[in-house]
Amino acid sequence: MADRADLLQGTLDLLVLKSLVLAPLHGWAISKRIRQLSSDVLQVNQGSLYPALYRLEDRGWISAEWGVSPEGRRVKFYTLTPDGRRQFAAEQASWRLFAAAVDQVLLAT
Amino acid sequence: MRHSIARLRRRLRALTRRPALEREMDDEMRFHVEMEAAELIRAGIPAAEAWRRARVAFGGVERFKEEARDARIGRALEELVADVRYALRGLRRSPGFALTAILTLALGIGATSAVFSAISAVLLAPLPYPTPERLVRIYEQNSPTNRWTISNADWQAIKEQQRSFESVALLEPGGAALSTGGQAEWVRVGRVTSGFFRTLGVQLVRGGGFQDGDDVLGAPPRVIVSQDFWERYFGVGDPIGRTLMLDRVSYTVVGVLPRGVSEYAGMEAGVWPILQLPTPSRRGPFGFVGIGRLRDGVTLDAAARDLAGISERIFPLWASGFQDRTARLTPYSLHEVIVGDASRPLTVLAIAVGLVLLIAIANVANLMLVRATGRRREIAVRSALGARRSRLARLLLTESLVLGGLGGVVGLAVAVLGLRALSVVGPELPRLHEASLDLRAVVFTAMAALVSGAIVGIYPLAFGMSRSLGSDMRSGERGSGTARSAQLFQGALVAAEFALALPLLLAAGLLLHSFAKLQRVDPGFEARNLLTSHISRPATADSEPATVLRFWDDARRRVREVPGVVEAGLATSLPPDNYGETNNFDLLEKPVPPGGAEPVAPWSWVTPELFAALGVPLVEGRLFDEADDADAPPVVLVSHAWARRYFPGESAIGKRMYVGGCRECVPSTVVGVVGDVKYEGLAGSGEAVYESVLQAPQSSLYLVVRTAVAPSSVVSPIRERLRSLDPDVPVRDLTTMEERLATSIANPRRLTWLLGAFAAAAVVLAALGVFGVMSYVVAQQRKEIGVRIALGADRAAVVGMVVRRGMIRATAGLALGVLVSLQGMPVLQAVLFEVSATDAATVVATSLLLLAVALAACWLPGRRAARIQPMEALNIE
Repeated sequence: MADRADLLQGTLDLLVLKSLVLAPLHGWAISKRIRQLSSDVLQVNQGSLYPALYRLEDRGWISAEWGVSPEGRRVKFYTLTPDGRRQFAAEQASWRLFAAAVDQVLLAT
Repeated sequence: MRHSIARLRRRLRALTRRPALEREMDDEMRFHVEMEAAELIRAGIPAAEAWRRARVAFGGVERFKEEARDARIGRALEELVADVRYALRGLRRSPGFALTAILTLALGIGATSAVFSAISAVLLAPLPYPTPERLVRIYEQNSPTNRWTISNADWQAIKEQQRSFESVALLEPGGAALSTGGQAEWVRVGRVTSGFFRTLGVQLVRGGGFQDGDDVLGAPPRVIVSQDFWERYFGVGDPIGRTLMLDRVSYTVVGVLPRGVSEYAGMEAGVWPILQLPTPSRRGPFGFVGIGRLRDGVTLDAAARDLAGISERIFPLWASGFQDRTARLTPYSLHEVIVGDASRPLTVLAIAVGLVLLIAIANVANLMLVRATGRRREIAVRSALGARRSRLARLLLTESLVLGGLGGVVGLAVAVLGLRALSVVGPELPRLHEASLDLRAVVFTAMAALVSGAIVGIYPLAFGMSRSLGSDMRSGERGSGTARSAQLFQGALVAAEFALALPLLLAAGLLLHSFAKLQRVDPGFEARNLLTSHISRPATADSEPATVLRFWDDARRRVREVPGVVEAGLATSLPPDNYGETNNFDLLEKPVPPGGAEPVAPWSWVTPELFAALGVPLVEGRLFDEADDADAPPVVLVSHAWARRYFPGESAIGKRMYVGGCRECVPSTVVGVVGDVKYEGLAGSGEAVYESVLQAPQSSLYLVVRTAVAPSSVVSPIRERLRSLDPDVPVRDLTTMEERLATSIANPRRLTWLLGAFAAAAVVLAALGVFGVMSYVVAQQRKEIGVRIALGADRAAVVGMVVRRGMIRATAGLALGVLVSLQGMPVLQAVLFEVSATDAATVVATSLLLLAVALAACWLPGRRAARIQPMEALNIE
């Protein structure tokens, strides 16, 4: 059994939003957080992370601001906007519905 | 709302601060890789390996930057700029291709824009007067095809009875002797009633203009002049209040017309004296131009009913002298009248340039296709490096739009030159001098460029890129040859070029054929050694008939005495284009039923010597002689064509007719039949009726001089002799008859040349098209042909193969072109003379000519194929 899973199409946005619910993070921290939260199962394809970040920023769900990292480096921090919070709630709800439905299908005898 | 403003600001920032954003993106991603590497090092992996893994995990930085950029909006414009730059770079790398494509497109676009400007100025632009759609010209009309000018009697009735017009005015086109210190000069004058310029809505630059009552007989004579006219004859200074002499009458200047405009209501003149008319005594003569400005809200139809009512009411008043009850005063839109027949040659030109543009587009599309096929490898590499297919498609499309744009820019220059050329070598058209490359034309050019670019770009997109790109990279650019779909498409393009070129060549051929026929028309006289001129007798000189006749006799004799002159005659009309007047007549033997329209013929008053001077033979009966004077019974001569038409199969001699609708007059008798002379253009009929000047004295006459020497050598002596007769006699238009004949057919000749030039351009483009494609095919199949030759293929067979393939396409196009032409050519009929628009001989000849051109264009690449050295070809790859 594989110990790592590719991200399902369309779930990256949801995971990025989730990782930002608690606090603003920079790009690398977001990818690390997703890895940690999924116990290293979900591997964010870093190449698609940044396009996703710019996309979310453009839609107004997250906002970016330059700051200084704990290591003392100038980095860009991403913060969830109120719009983003609402979007996260909506996406979370639909994901749960979807996951439950898939489960139900798979568990059917 | 606030949110979208923030977004807009972000996008603007993205556009304006591109380098900064680019750097931020770099920083952010480098930071990511560094952090990843640092973590791996912490986990105990050697630094070098850690860095490598971090980079691999991240992937190609550039590629993801590209994707990250994709996510940003506002990049569309950035990319456009980048694409345009890239396209320009690409075009600079292959200047031969770029130059050919741009010039070809420029030719097509420029020619189209020039003709568009002409159409825009001549046909589409409104007349340069306020609310021009309300301006009408009033005619007399008795059948849908026969309309003529109005008379003094008509004018008086219109002025008093009309209810449809805000104002009406009358214009009498003519000429007058302008005294300019010591000698007279003939000038064109438009005599007008006081409301003329008010009706048109023309603002005078100075002076109060004519007042009501100025046009009443006996009021002090006043005149309006154009600034240009005044400066030409009298120098600088304010003309207002000054006087000038026309026909020995002094006129006071009361108004000045703006500079640069010399044409009003279709009449060209620099001087506009007041027109003062007496109370009419009969319905005719006609010869006046009626102008009216419709009241707001009154339609042309309503005005037509109003005028028809007037015609009906005045008919009984003049019925004794004017029998035609069907004649109606009829209004026509002034614009329509002025533009007239110009739409025919312009339609022909528009179709011609449209075809040239299409051929140009097809040609460049073909070039693009060849180029795109040659660049398959480059495109495949780009694709592998991460460019998406839509991005590549846009890149290629941008390139062709850039080509179209450059073609449009050069095309504008071509259009400026073309428009100038059109007014010099093109057919004479009304208002063409108003044509310029205005905003409308520039917009048109831009649209043409855009559309051309788009069409040119879509073909290679559709056929050059639809296949798997990976295979292109592996196969390289030569081996696999052109895709079958692209080949078919190239074939179709070549066929289309020939299909489009054929109608053009055919039209040029038909016009040439028609022109040759026109040139062979017998004008009815020997044009060599014939000098012509126009002489006017000042209008207010003693107008006793005997004095007038003495004047003309004296003038004729003086000319006759000039050494080198064989004979001199005078007439009111002059072939081939000045038919002078027409007159209606009623044959006593075949009377027109009451109320019907009488037949009409060109009418000329001549001295007896005219026929000898012109060289017109007497067919039957006798010519005029000195005895046919005012006291003798009225007699006429008729032309052979006239006699054939009205008295077929019998002699016209002795037949009698009422002339000009006058029933109280003594009928005129036909005493002779003379040869046909073309008075209504060379394409016109030869019908004419002659009366003797002795029976109807004239104030101005054409002089026809037969010489034994070169006519130009007697010009000055004749001028001097006539001046010695009276310095106030203007002698104008001293030209040879050969010149007049050349001028007469100048318009058909110009149209023929112009279409010939377009056809030549089309044929060259089509030939280049098939030549280019076949050369490309040969280059692509060098190896295959080399193998064939190595295996012993006959070189002639190789040539045959190439030629056959090219000719299949060309012939298919030709066949299609013939079919299309036979449908569309009747458009041309209106400008053809005695040639059917589907003339079989011309169709066959032009098809064969085009076929021969295609054969030559295919044979050259065929010969190159046959010279391929097998070893060389095989060693290429």
